[in-house]
Amino acid sequence: MATEHKIRNIFTTGPISASFIADSIQKHDTKTNIGGHSIFLGQVRADVIDGNKVAAIEYTAYEEMALEKMHQIREAIFAKYPLVCMHVHHSLGKIAAGEICLFVFTSSAHRREAIDACTETVERIKAELPIWGKEIFENESYQWKENR
Amino acid sequence: MPVQVIVFGQLTDILGHQPVTMEDAPDTNTLIRRLNQRYPALVNAPYIIAVDKKIVTGNTTLTGGNAVALLPPFAGG
Repeated sequence: MATEHKIRNIFTTGPISASFIADSIQKHDTKTNIGGHSIFLGQVRADVIDGNKVAAIEYTAYEEMALEKMHQIREAIFAKYPLVCMHVHHSLGKIAAGEICLFVFTSSAHRREAIDACTETVERIKAELPIWGKEIFENESYQWKENR
Repeated sequence: MPVQVIVFGQLTDILGHQPVTMEDAPDTNTLIRRLNQRYPALVNAPYIIAVDKKIVTGNTTLTGGNAVALLPPFAGG
């Protein structure tokens, strides 16, 4: 069944807390047609480059464009997979190493669709959303993050 | 017609965080040529162009009311 989705905000200032993620899982206990959830959590990694350790990543985005693009991705994923629901949250601002900056959560009747939809959504977010990360080192210098 | 240009990511190191107004930019090729003259570091920077939040390829006509954004490689997640 085709479902109309409105453009939702995915951005949150600061890190995504474990309690927010736990609450998000808890909220699905009334959706008993779900048989499988898949969750991806992106965490800021303390890369060491030329002896300098990354202390934080400061995320910025072309927000209006990113939200429009995310809406298109969401519609495409729902058209491709029989999902019950999908939730996406991405951090903006300075996120310290070890903190969560991306939360993608897909749910379906059976595990395979939830897992595949989650993987594809994460890949598309990284490739298609106009978001940038400034890797700030412990010595206050910085470089711009590049996705692999 | 003046065109407002905004940049993101590493391009803010070159153009800053405020929108840049460019006069006499009837199309994206002319706009980029003028930007390259004003900001030589832009010449070798990788980016794609969005006009009114849509990615464009090839030369695109500008009306003056357009929002032009230069987008360096995305690095979300």
